[in-house]
Amino acid sequence: MSWFHRLLNTFRPGRVQRDIDREISFHLAERADQLRSEGVDPEEARRRARLRFGNPVVQRERIRDVDVARVVDATMRNARYAIRTLARTPGFTVTVVLTLALGIGANTAVFSAIDTVLLRPLPFPDGDRLVELTEVHEGSAETRIAPVRLQDWNRLNVTFDGIAGHYVDDVVDTSGELPERFRRAFVTRGFFDVLRVQPAMGRGFVESEHSVKGPIAMIISNRRWRSLGADPQIVGRAVKIPYGSLITVGVMSGDFQFPARDVDLWSADDADATWAQSRTLTWLTGIGRLQPGVTLAQAEADLNRVQNSLAAQYPATDRNIRVRVTPLKDTVVGSTRSSLWLLFGSVSVLLLIACTNIAALLLSRATRREQEISIRYSLGGSRTTVICQLLTEAAVLAVTGAATGLVVALAATRALRSLAPELPRVSEIGIDGRILFYTMATTVAVALLCGLVPALRGAPGVRPLRSSAPSSLQKRHSIQWLLVGVQVALSVTLLAGAGLLLRSVEALSRVDLGFDASHVLTLHVSGSYGWETTDMAVQRINRLIDAVGTLPGVESVAITSTLPGVRDQQQLEFNLAEGRSEAAPRMHAETRVVSPAYFQTLRIPLLAGELCRRPEDAGGNTGVVTEALVNRRFVDLYLLDRDAIGLHLSGALDGLAKNGHLSGNVPPSRIVGIVGDARETGADRAPAPTVYTCFSAPDPAPWHLMRTSGDPLAMAETIRRKIHDVEPQRSVYDAAPLEGRMSGAYAQNRLRTWLLTLFALTALALVCAGVYGTLSYAVSLRRREVALRLALGALRRSVVHQLMTMSIRIVGTASAVGLLLALLFTQSLSTMLYGVTPTDPATLTGVMFLVVAVAFIAAFIPAASATFVQPMRALREE
Amino acid sequence: MSTSRNDILQGTLTLLVLKTLASNKRMHGYAITTHVQRASADLLRVEEGSLYPALHRMEQQGWLKSEWGLTEKNREARFYSLTAHGRKQLALEEESWARFTEGVGRVLRYV
Repeated sequence: MSWFHRLLNTFRPGRVQRDIDREISFHLAERADQLRSEGVDPEEARRRARLRFGNPVVQRERIRDVDVARVVDATMRNARYAIRTLARTPGFTVTVVLTLALGIGANTAVFSAIDTVLLRPLPFPDGDRLVELTEVHEGSAETRIAPVRLQDWNRLNVTFDGIAGHYVDDVVDTSGELPERFRRAFVTRGFFDVLRVQPAMGRGFVESEHSVKGPIAMIISNRRWRSLGADPQIVGRAVKIPYGSLITVGVMSGDFQFPARDVDLWSADDADATWAQSRTLTWLTGIGRLQPGVTLAQAEADLNRVQNSLAAQYPATDRNIRVRVTPLKDTVVGSTRSSLWLLFGSVSVLLLIACTNIAALLLSRATRREQEISIRYSLGGSRTTVICQLLTEAAVLAVTGAATGLVVALAATRALRSLAPELPRVSEIGIDGRILFYTMATTVAVALLCGLVPALRGAPGVRPLRSSAPSSLQKRHSIQWLLVGVQVALSVTLLAGAGLLLRSVEALSRVDLGFDASHVLTLHVSGSYGWETTDMAVQRINRLIDAVGTLPGVESVAITSTLPGVRDQQQLEFNLAEGRSEAAPRMHAETRVVSPAYFQTLRIPLLAGELCRRPEDAGGNTGVVTEALVNRRFVDLYLLDRDAIGLHLSGALDGLAKNGHLSGNVPPSRIVGIVGDARETGADRAPAPTVYTCFSAPDPAPWHLMRTSGDPLAMAETIRRKIHDVEPQRSVYDAAPLEGRMSGAYAQNRLRTWLLTLFALTALALVCAGVYGTLSYAVSLRRREVALRLALGALRRSVVHQLMTMSIRIVGTASAVGLLLALLFTQSLSTMLYGVTPTDPATLTGVMFLVVAVAFIAAFIPAASATFVQPMRALREE
Repeated sequence: MSTSRNDILQGTLTLLVLKTLASNKRMHGYAITTHVQRASADLLRVEEGSLYPALHRMEQQGWLKSEWGLTEKNREARFYSLTAHGRKQLALEEESWARFTEGVGRVLRYV
């Protein structure tokens, strides 16, 4: 029989047993026969035969040992025994398995996410050489690039393989029954070459498509292609839009999501359009591919050199402009980086707590079994066997925990993906094998190490066998108390972080955004260029506003070119007709074209002057804008030295002229008032300087805002019908409450806080289990002493008090240490906090109090229940 | 007296079994014990507790092979026989036994 047969025999115990029995019984029968032939009577013969052979059980074992693969067989037996033993103490088993699962699962999920989002390179060939370019103007907030300037940079640099630009806006498709809005990315020549990506179907753009005179071509996204029916013949088909039709020339592959996740189509920008020749209209975001071996610093220096030469060439428009070059990966990942590192830290702490918890629980159990193991040694058990058995027990726990951990990891990854869809690259998040291996290895190693302790502690010669627990209990279990202390300290730290973040979120929600987004319904009414003149559009929209305003339940109606809560894509540069000093910073501001009721609808306060009037109300011709409002930030940045009201701004309508909507000379608009700042892109960022121009028809289908007295969605149907009454041939689309559109900006904060709170609570639960487990064991060892004291008349109260002194001392010290750690840890959070300092005393004391209270309760319960033991029963047990 | 005899016997059990099976084609365990007892004129008795583990071990090492069969009395028994490997092993064991006894003898004869 070779080792193979022996292995096989391990799994055929029945057959092996039968063979051995047959062989033995044959031998005994022959021996008995022989004795009988010598004259011994049959009973006696059988007895003597058996005696001579030896203890049948022992003999069977010996033969069997030779026949089976001993190690495997022993392991299987140990495993079965281990499962039985563990099942007898379900509380302990479940706690350890859950702790392992949580430690492994949560860690794997978060680390995998971090690895995918932060560490993996962008999914472009040589993605590390891609950079983003921005213009930085002295003293101003502007950062986009004028197209002609971008072209100059592309032409004149020596460090780039290529430079291109992109710009995202919305376009309306009127070819179907209902108009549909899509996100479109305008891209310049060479965009796909810079990224080194080609469409999956069809082709990229050709030169003629980058021209006003040429065909309007588009490349659609994979998602859009599939929603259109995944037609393989789609290349060449046309889609109608307000000013013509777009021809599909290609389809991108599914994983290309640049420059934004929701881009539906890419179209070629018109490099020779009149508005694209301006050096002051800036709207492109630039990307570039560095040449091999070129560093960021070199590229930036090179582009700045180019820009300086441009400044000499065009002093009026290009002076005081710097170029900034940042790695594209940084901008894609952006602010989530800090969130994810925070998560990383928290989850590591959680892993640490989980490991210490497992260690503490296993060590407690170990000391309980010391007696049993000492007995086994003294009865002649071999050290190897005992160690093997304990190892198997720990391994069973570890394997179960790891398997559960894997399930938790899968679930957590899925939850992460659905909770945070706006995280960049979130669709790529999965479970990374290396990370899974690492976390499993760590926790399993801890489990195995601690599981082995009883074998080493109870080894022969190490400690004499004693039937009663020694009273020097505190010293012996110092390791366990240390572990409990570590858990408490770490939980305080984790909870402190979570508490601060929670308070920030709460503070943020109370910040005055500068406008009230509740109870506002937003929608579009279809309209398109070319159907009507500007005057007709203005009249139509005014009529609609007035009509809807008469509905009961609608408080006010307004028009706007861009939604509040969304940063305007286009920042314009303004000039002051009254003139400004040469050294004054350029006046860059966001521009919003609104109807006068906008401010009332969004409850933006008027701080000075008066509200602007529609041109038709102001007595001028419709289509000629004369009145504008600026926000306080605009004044603070640019007009501090004089009274803003009465000044004339120009340049405000270059944007409208771009679309061909207005023609002729555009007179400057007059500032008639100052309004409050509206924080468009988040409560924690400074508001952008904004110029509001009063005009009813910035484009044929502007946003309509309605403030309703009740729930905006409930009013939607009534409003829709009213609009239909007034304008039967137009349709209403994209109706939604304003608040819903804005929550995207806050989602990331929410995710971060939610997760951290979850970790903190888990940590608290683990601490609870750890303290409870350790103390209940410690108390159980002293049952005899407790019983004795109770029998001698001690008060329950004093006994409990005495039992708890140790735990109180440990928890107290540990909380103090945890507080110190927290003070260090929260410093790293300071960039994410709002409204609270990292050392906020209220939060920290609250957290300490919470942890101490929880630990106290966890310590109190076993102590108290120990005093309810029957004294006589406890005394007799020993 | 019997203890010392059996101690030595445990060490040489392999040799005796191999030799027994060399001269008899097929034998079951019981037959081996009776043969050893008879051949040694009752000077040696096989320790029954060690026999079967030894037989199974030798089978694993490839020196023996076994099969189930019927005795003359129609009882089911496991029969062992020597393999080619076993024959080689027997030669080796005989040689080392010769050396062992020679060495012990010389020490005993030394004055």
